[in-house]
Amino acid sequence: MKVIDIQQQPTMGFSRTLSITIIGIRYRLFRSLVTVVVIAVAVAFLMNIVGESLIRKSVLENSADRLRELRHAAVWAARLSVPGTAEDIILNLGKAEPDSPLYQESQVLAGFDPGEMQAVHEQVCRAAEYLTFFGELDYGRRRRMVAGAEGSDIFRSLRETGRMERFEDALAGMKSVRFPGTIEQFRDFVGQWPEIEGRVQRIREGRRQAIRQVREVLDGRPVVDALTDATGQFGQAVRAAGFRLGEDEAGAVAREARRMVDVRILEDSVNKPAIRKALSSRLDVLPADVTVQTLWDFVGSRENAEWYLAKMREGELDTAGLTVERTVELAGVDAEFASLVRAEHLGGDLSGGFLGVGERMTWLMLVSMLVCVVGIANAMLMSVTERFREIATLKCLGALDGSIMLMFVLEAALLGVVGGVMGAVGGVLIALGRMIGSFGSLMFGATPAGDLTAAAIAATVVGVVLAAVAAVYPSFKAARLAPMEAMRIE
Amino acid sequence: MAKKNKATRTSSEKGGTAQVATVAQTQPQPAARSGGDERRVIIRAIALKKSYMQKEVETQALRGVNVEIYTGEFISVMGPSGSGKSTFFNMIGALDSPTSGRVFIDEVDVAQLTAVELAFLRCRKIGYIFQSYNLIQYMTALENVTTPMAFAGVGPDEARVRGMSLLEIVGLKERWFHRPIEMSGGQQQRVAIARSMANNPSILLCDEPTANLDLHTGREILTILQRLNRERGVTIICATHDHRMLDICDRLMWIRDGQIERIARRDEVHIEVGAIDDEEH
Repeated sequence: MKVIDIQQQPTMGFSRTLSITIIGIRYRLFRSLVTVVVIAVAVAFLMNIVGESLIRKSVLENSADRLRELRHAAVWAARLSVPGTAEDIILNLGKAEPDSPLYQESQVLAGFDPGEMQAVHEQVCRAAEYLTFFGELDYGRRRRMVAGAEGSDIFRSLRETGRMERFEDALAGMKSVRFPGTIEQFRDFVGQWPEIEGRVQRIREGRRQAIRQVREVLDGRPVVDALTDATGQFGQAVRAAGFRLGEDEAGAVAREARRMVDVRILEDSVNKPAIRKALSSRLDVLPADVTVQTLWDFVGSRENAEWYLAKMREGELDTAGLTVERTVELAGVDAEFASLVRAEHLGGDLSGGFLGVGERMTWLMLVSMLVCVVGIANAMLMSVTERFREIATLKCLGALDGSIMLMFVLEAALLGVVGGVMGAVGGVLIALGRMIGSFGSLMFGATPAGDLTAAAIAATVVGVVLAAVAAVYPSFKAARLAPMEAMRIE
Repeated sequence: MAKKNKATRTSSEKGGTAQVATVAQTQPQPAARSGGDERRVIIRAIALKKSYMQKEVETQALRGVNVEIYTGEFISVMGPSGSGKSTFFNMIGALDSPTSGRVFIDEVDVAQLTAVELAFLRCRKIGYIFQSYNLIQYMTALENVTTPMAFAGVGPDEARVRGMSLLEIVGLKERWFHRPIEMSGGQQQRVAIARSMANNPSILLCDEPTANLDLHTGREILTILQRLNRERGVTIICATHDHRMLDICDRLMWIRDGQIERIARRDEVHIEVGAIDDEEH
C-alpha cells in the first residue's frame, strides 16, 4: 500500500480567496491606504483633466449660443447699415453652407441664378481659404511673399509681372509653411481673380442697393429703434429689400433690439450732470469715476433701480416706460453678457483632439494617463515584491500558482475600486470647484452631469484595471518560482 | 548557505534532467534494507547535486547525496553552517529543484510531478517547519493553521474544529486569536507545528526548529515533535544543531561540504558525543 497517493490539488474557492485577501488588506491597513492614495491621486488627476475639459466645453457651447442670441440685433443692425468690404463678404460667404440664409440672401441680392451662385460660392470658398492663409502669416513672411499687399489686394498684385514667380520662390524657401492646395490651383485662381472680384462686387452692390431701400423706409430713424419692429412692418420692408429675416429670427431680433434701446436710454442718462452727481454722492465716489459699469452694478437691486428711475424722472429725462423690474432685468443681462464674453476669452482653442477638448488638453490627458500607469504599477510592484516570503510560505502550504495570483490581483482590484472611486469623486469635485472659479454662475445649468458621470465611471474602471494588470506580472513571476527560490530573492 | 546565494539556474539543469531519466530506468525497485529492516523507504535521494551560479563562479551546495529515509522514522540531520543541510532539505521537501540527481517521495519521482501535483504534495503529504517560523503575519494563530486546510478544500467549519484541536495539541488553544506578532518565538513555532500538521502529512520536515529558541522552549518543541512521531507515526526529518535531538531521534546523519559524512543509529552514537561536540561551532 502506498503511503502517499498523489492527486491533483483542487482550486481554492473564490470566497475563501477573497476572505484571505481581505484579512491581509485589513492587517496592512496603512500600506493598503498608501496604495489606495496613490491610485486615488492618479485617477483624480486623470478625472480632473477630463472633467474640466468636459465642463469647459459644455459651458462654452452654451455661452456661445447665448452670445449669438444676445448679439442678434447688433449683427442685424450692422448688416442693414453697411454692405461690408469685399473681404468680409468673402470670409462670411466662404463659411456659409449652400442652404444657409446668407447664401440664399447673397444669391437674391446679386441676382445670380442657382448655377452661377454655386460657381461663385466655390470661388469664394477658395478665396476665403487663401485670405485666411495670408491673414495668419506673420508680417515678415508675408512681406517676402507679396510685398506690402493686404487682403484681396494680394490677388491683384500677384497678377503683375514677376510677382507670382517671386511669391513661389519665397514659398519654396519656407518649409514650415503649409499652403492650402497646390500652386497650380492658386495660379489658376489668381488668373481668374478679376472675374471673381467682379462677382463679389456684384454681391456687394446688391447689398448696397438693399440697404438704400431699407434706409428709405427708416427715414432717419436709428436702425436699432426700427428693429424693435422686426416682427411688424419694418421686418416686411427688410424682407422686401431682399434680406433673409426668418419669422423666428425676427422675434428674437425684435426682443434684443428692444433691450438695446432700453440699455441706451439708461446708459445715456448717466451722462446727464444731475444724475451723475446724484449717483456719485449716493455711492461716495468722484463724479468722474461714475461709468456705465458703475450704473449697471448699482441698478442690480430693486431698491437702487427704483431710486435711479425716480432720479431720472426728477431730472425730467424720458424713462420711456422703463419699469423697476425691467431695469433690474437689464442689469442682470449686462452681468451675464460680461461673464459670457469672459468665458469666450477663456475658451482658447476648442477644436480637434480627443473628445473635442483641444490639442493641449489631449496632451495633458495622455500625460496624466502615463502618471496614472506609472504610479499604480509602482505601488503594486512594491507591494508584491515585499511579500515574496509570504508567497513562498503559501506555496509551501500547498497554494496553487493560480490561487496566489488571484489573491494579489483581487487585492489590487479592491484597492483599485476604493482608490478609483475616491479619485474620480475628488477629481470631479476639484474640476467643479475650479470651473466655478472661472465661469461663475454660467456653470449652473451648463454642467454636463451625464458626461461627468460616464467619465467618472470610466476613470474608476481605468484605475481598477491598471491596478489589477500591474499586479498580474509581479505576482505571476513570484507565484511561478519554486518556494525556496522565492524566499531567497528577499 | 542557500540564503547567501542568489540562485541562478544553470544550463546544466536540463542536461541533468535528461541524465536523471536514465538513472530512473536503471534504478532497481526499492528493496528491504540489509539487516532485516522491513520498513518502507519513504524518501529516497539518488546522486543529489545542487549548484548555484554566483558571478560566474559555481558553488556546489550538494555534491551527490544518496540517502534512504524510512516511514515513521525520526532522523536528525547535523552539520555545520554552510554544509548544505538546508539545500538538502529543500530538495527532499520538493521546495526546490536539484541540478542533477533525483528525489523519490514514496517511490514517486518529484521531478515528474506537475505544479498542481506538487501543490497537492506540499499541502497534504509534507509538513514544513522553518527556523524563522514563517507564519503569515496578518493571520491569527487559528487562521494560520486552517490556511493549508483551505488550500486542501476543507470547509471553513470543519477547518475551524480541526484547527482548534491542533492548537490544543500544541497547547495554544486559548490563544487562537493572537497574531504572530503578539506571540513569543516558542509559541510561534508551536503554531507553525500545528500548521504543518493541518492536513495530516506523512512527513514532517523541520529546518532547525529550535535554533531561535531558548533551552526550555526548545525542549518543549522537541517534546511535541517526539509525540507526533510516536503517536501519529509521522516521519520526521529534522536539521539541527541541538544536542537534545540526540535523545529522541532514531538515526543521525552528518552532512559536511555537501556530502553525507556519516549515518548512524542513535545507540551507536551515544558514546561518541564528545566527538560531535567538536564539530559544532
